Amino acid sequence: MKIELNGLGETIPENISIDALIDLFKEGDPDLIVEVNGKYIFPKNYKKTTIIENDTIEFINPNLGG
Amino acid sequence: MSEPDNPKTAQHLKAACKERYARQILLPQIGSKGQQALGKSSVLIAGAGGLGSISSLYLAAAGVGHIIIADHDHVEESNLNRQLLHSETSLGIEKVKSAANRLQELNSSIKITPVQKKLNAKNIDLLVKKIDIIVDACDNYKTRQILNRASIRHDIPFIFGGVQGFNGMVSCFIPGRTPCFECIVKPPKNKIDKGIIGAVAGITASIQTMETIKLLLNIGSRADRLENRLLKISGLDMKIKSISLEPDPDCRVCKHINCK
Repeated sequence: MKIELNGLGETIPENISIDALIDLFKEGDPDLIVEVNGKYIFPKNYKKTTIIENDTIEFINPNLGG
Repeated sequence: MSEPDNPKTAQHLKAACKERYARQILLPQIGSKGQQALGKSSVLIAGAGGLGSISSLYLAAAGVGHIIIADHDHVEESNLNRQLLHSETSLGIEKVKSAANRLQELNSSIKITPVQKKLNAKNIDLLVKKIDIIVDACDNYKTRQILNRASIRHDIPFIFGGVQGFNGMVSCFIPGRTPCFECIVKPPKNKIDKGIIGAVAGITASIQTMETIKLLLNIGSRADRLENRLLKISGLDMKIKSISLEPDPDCRVCKHINCK
């Protein structure tokens, strides 16, 4: 199925969780913030949140400098 | 929002102040009454670095009556690409001393309290005792935790700002109305990269300042402010995105507060 990830069109397997998506795209930042369709997803929900067709997802690396 | 201007209120603003703040008094959302309210406000700026430089300058220029600025560091040459409070002549001196000098030069009619201390769980309560808003301008997670918890204990808004590289983030964390900082940002496992383009600190701190003034004067609705939203600024592709947030019902820091 097709999704948009970080502004780019991607094709991914169906019924995939955010956890699996992070693995699939080898996103290595352990501090990652994930946003799906404009909404923040709590890390504890990555396993149970399933991506669906046409979802827009952003992987965000938090900025904590000052 | 501040009430509509009326001639009596305007008379109470000194003539010199009226001229100084004329361009913001013209705004119907501020007016003379709002300007007076700013003059009676107190803000803690936690950090006199990249973010604190800009937020303190704008808050002082806007006429916020009392600015407490806290930092334990000294000015170093590598600060000068973004920390516009400081200059070559302040190299080696305490950042808060340099900050207080510059801010008082900019606006001698307001009170500046420099605090040359590392913020910790023991000294924070005294510092936030009489303030209206905490403006985050620090560079580490631990201090933000201390500020976040003080914000909840004292029921004071915490205006989070963070920067790195070409990117920045801003959100208003308001006890009882929004998630708290620790609902959303978990303790980092990676070290914070130190590389930064100065202008992103300027953009991020300017947005923090705007939100601070809006909150101080109750301008706009909650939806208009960065409540329950995280603003993400990406400087490289010049995109600004708003991400909707909600409190973490399991957050051990704020779950005891019922969101209204």
